[in-house]
Amino acid sequence: MFRKFYLLYGLLTLGTAAFGQYRGWSLDTINQLKNVPKSVRDNPGSYRSVYSGYHHYTGGK
Amino acid sequence: MSAGTPPLSGPPKPQAKALNCPKCGAAIVLRSFGQAETVVCASCHSILDAKDPNLAILQQFEAATNVSKPLIPLGTRGKLRGTDYEVIGFQRRSTRVDGITYYWHEYVLFNPYKGIRYLSEYNGHWNDISICKTLPTADGGEANYLGETYKHFQSAEANTDFVLGEFPWQVRVGEKAAVTDYVHPPRVLSSEKLDKEVTWSIGEYMYGREIWDSFKLPGDPPEAMGVYENQPSPLTTNIRQIWIAFAAFAICLLIVMAGFDMLAKKESVFNQTYTYDRREAKGELSFVTDVFDLAGRTSSVEIKTYSPVSNHWIYLNYALINQDTGQAWDFGREVSYYSGYDSDGSWSEGKQNDSVVIPSVPPGHYYLRVEPEVDPSLPLIPYTIEVRRDVPVFGIYGIAFLALLLPVVVLSWRSYTFERSRWSESDHPPMDFSNISTSSGDDE
Repeated sequence: MFRKFYLLYGLLTLGTAAFGQYRGWSLDTINQLKNVPKSVRDNPGSYRSVYSGYHHYTGGK
Repeated sequence: MSAGTPPLSGPPKPQAKALNCPKCGAAIVLRSFGQAETVVCASCHSILDAKDPNLAILQQFEAATNVSKPLIPLGTRGKLRGTDYEVIGFQRRSTRVDGITYYWHEYVLFNPYKGIRYLSEYNGHWNDISICKTLPTADGGEANYLGETYKHFQSAEANTDFVLGEFPWQVRVGEKAAVTDYVHPPRVLSSEKLDKEVTWSIGEYMYGREIWDSFKLPGDPPEAMGVYENQPSPLTTNIRQIWIAFAAFAICLLIVMAGFDMLAKKESVFNQTYTYDRREAKGELSFVTDVFDLAGRTSSVEIKTYSPVSNHWIYLNYALINQDTGQAWDFGREVSYYSGYDSDGSWSEGKQNDSVVIPSVPPGHYYLRVEPEVDPSLPLIPYTIEVRRDVPVFGIYGIAFLALLLPVVVLSWRSYTFERSRWSESDHPPMDFSNISTSSGDDE
């Protein structure tokens, strides 16, 4: 029983990996937005990234 | 029911011989059609010679403190694996190991056409036992019977504590026999040496529920405790076959990975170097790049950033924006590199380059909005931004590999712990891993 399950599971895993690669899946977390105004191209300052103001690491060892 | 074996249903047949105990006068019923060597009086527990028409007393034992009630009452009839049997005898036996006495029970079953067979019960674990038809061969740690190899499990001295009913041998309370068990789950091969006589028997594990159903016993069977020596693993899968399947999938995964890596375009669609100059950085710092074309199917986009920072950092707020649809992917990336010397020697951390992969970006015309933030102590720093279309993401294969591996590891671990429990009760405790076979049987 488990052998059949594992064969199906393995095929599904392989298929998912191949499909993900084909569709360009990524492990990085990216914030996706819709309907960004076209005015950004002419006035980049009209858009503010959600990541601005990030507290930067300034140390080293 | 096997061919030619009439059922034993209904009331006791008139052939059963009714006699009286010469000791106490209680009625003695012989059910085994003359196959019994001894019969035990249920009233006074005298062991009588069943071959003697006068039932000569062979032994008397004090049962008051040793009474053990059979779970299957004598005279109970049932169909065991297709053949009708009647329970005609019962004995309790024991062995003493490391100061602890272990008890088990044995039942004598009789069918007038099939003869005698036995059931044994220990802590809710049952075995269907019959005398070997051919002589097994035993050589130290292994025994062979009908082409099957059995591993030595344990050797012990078995003591007969209590008897009841009929027995096809000259049974005696207090009798001691040297018992050696060899296992090949779900079977157990046992040799029992009494004086100079050695009897080999073969047993097959049965679940209590099967026994209860066979003899139509009321209630539930006692719950099985622990793992018995020949108990089949609940994992019915051959672990080795699963590992082979895993290896095959891993190779397929490598082939898929190599194939997609070769087919991936990895096309550089934008590459530009900028310089952040603090002296000129007044007011709005953000800017947009030229428009570039992301062609082909929906696929990944990699944004690579390089900056020759040393003990500094640069942070870039990015937005990849589709000029036509307004869809955007917003993210921030830091490039920082620190190095130096201390009492431990030289050290470094961070990198001068960074890469991020944006998932599933449809084709279209895109540009980047970039907003740099730079270490205040840096007056001037160049940085390069490169955009590549359709790049492979190897982390997906890593996750797939782990997903393939995980069930195999879990199954192997469960099998290992089960076998470890089994062998912990043997003469070969589990530290000797050669005893533990991960192959727990055939699939289904």
